[in-house]
Amino acid sequence: MYKIMMFTGGVYKFHELKETIEDIGGFVLQEMVMQTETMMHLAFPEEEERRIRNKAKDLGGKLKDLPLAGAEIMIVVPSLGNHHAVYPMCDIAEFLRRKGAITNMMGLARGVGKRIAQMTVQEKAIIEECDAAVFVFGDFKECIEEKAPKLCEPLEVPYMIVGGPPDLDIPHYVGGVGRRTRRMNRKSDIDKLEEMAAAFKEVLNEKIEEIEEDPLAASPLFIKEMIEMTLPPKAGEEFPVVIHLDGLRVKIEEGDEGRVRDIEIGKRKLSEISEIKKSLYEGYLVKIQTEAVTGGIF
Amino acid sequence: MEVKVEGGDEFANASYEKICDDTFRDIGLRSNIEQVYMYCNAAEHVFILSVEIGRVPSPVKVWDVTQREGDKLRITDEKYAPKLLALLWDKYGERVQQISRLVIGLELKDEEIAEVMNLIVYDPREDLNSRVLDGIDRILPEGARVRYPMPSTAGITIIASENPIAEEWKEKAKEIMRKMASSKGGT
Repeated sequence: MYKIMMFTGGVYKFHELKETIEDIGGFVLQEMVMQTETMMHLAFPEEEERRIRNKAKDLGGKLKDLPLAGAEIMIVVPSLGNHHAVYPMCDIAEFLRRKGAITNMMGLARGVGKRIAQMTVQEKAIIEECDAAVFVFGDFKECIEEKAPKLCEPLEVPYMIVGGPPDLDIPHYVGGVGRRTRRMNRKSDIDKLEEMAAAFKEVLNEKIEEIEEDPLAASPLFIKEMIEMTLPPKAGEEFPVVIHLDGLRVKIEEGDEGRVRDIEIGKRKLSEISEIKKSLYEGYLVKIQTEAVTGGIF
Repeated sequence: MEVKVEGGDEFANASYEKICDDTFRDIGLRSNIEQVYMYCNAAEHVFILSVEIGRVPSPVKVWDVTQREGDKLRITDEKYAPKLLALLWDKYGERVQQISRLVIGLELKDEEIAEVMNLIVYDPREDLNSRVLDGIDRILPEGARVRYPMPSTAGITIIASENPIAEEWKEKAKEIMRKMASSKGGT
């Protein structure tokens, strides 16, 4: 399994770190050079962590663990009105991003209320395109208890519910947030967000363990590298390829779909080892099949 | 402003107290509202919000926001500049000119200038109702779209729910209004 970490430091000799990563079969997922500062998201085999840490120490940079890296998460709120947005929705999304996740935000069309709350089939499909979902609900226990089975339980992806009442007997629930009118930037708020991120990591671990038990034909990180070799990212384009735990979201133009399908991954074509379909939300979704289905590809 | 929330659990009550406080502060009405009472019954999805309006500031006149310098007026509170200019242009047309950002030139007679100084630039009562209603709308849960307003001489009480509002809740709202009035000493 790959470990994903963030390196921050100066530009001096930082290409040496990139070379080390390439030598040990790792990947640079994201790279940003801001004058004399650099920020990189690195993925490398877990057993090589010591080597990377030593190199980072030599360069005088810092390495930070990104426990949620490699996952695309949907933050779902009942509506985008000022009752539910922007606080605490954006605070939660921002905090998960700091932990390495790529986050999207979504307001349901008819998610407000208790009895009248509902989710459309299309909304459900869009949420299921992501690796996991975080539902941000309000202050009332009765509403959350009624909404959870209606909106969250039918989902086929792991989910977590963030709400107000501190103790609720609902699976994957974190309380103590609720409706907010101010930013969550105090010490107690940050502690709560930390608690939420830790709980979310556990939720995500379920899916990671499932994938580890039945490994994929090729790592999404490797496929990302291959896609970027064929279709280099355009200047200024942000996250043209988003990594999922079991696939990728590739933001390409309609005409380029064929080129992506024909990319060679080992001895096979990408279309042979994965399902490629147009996303309801953005780009194309590549869902990598398991090794048990495709057989060896190298 | 006194805020009291009842009916929900401890967390919800405390949270809604803060929401009421912050919302009315955001729209600048905190000092004009005497008391706010909210009753939450999430099990039956009924929310009653009662707002009692207190003292409203007196109208802002031209001499409150400007300083006279001969045949010129210097704006001392820029917040009212657009309203002031609109008012003067409307009344005197081209005889009033904005010389610089904060200076207004007047080609008026002395008695006319004295009259100008007493003109009302902004009356907080004008948009008080719409601001209070906006605040109430921001506080009440978004799903509670069926509303039943019950105005009184001192303020307004609104029942909100996602279901049709039963007589029982109208009675409850009346009771709340009575309590609010008696706590103030009767209105």
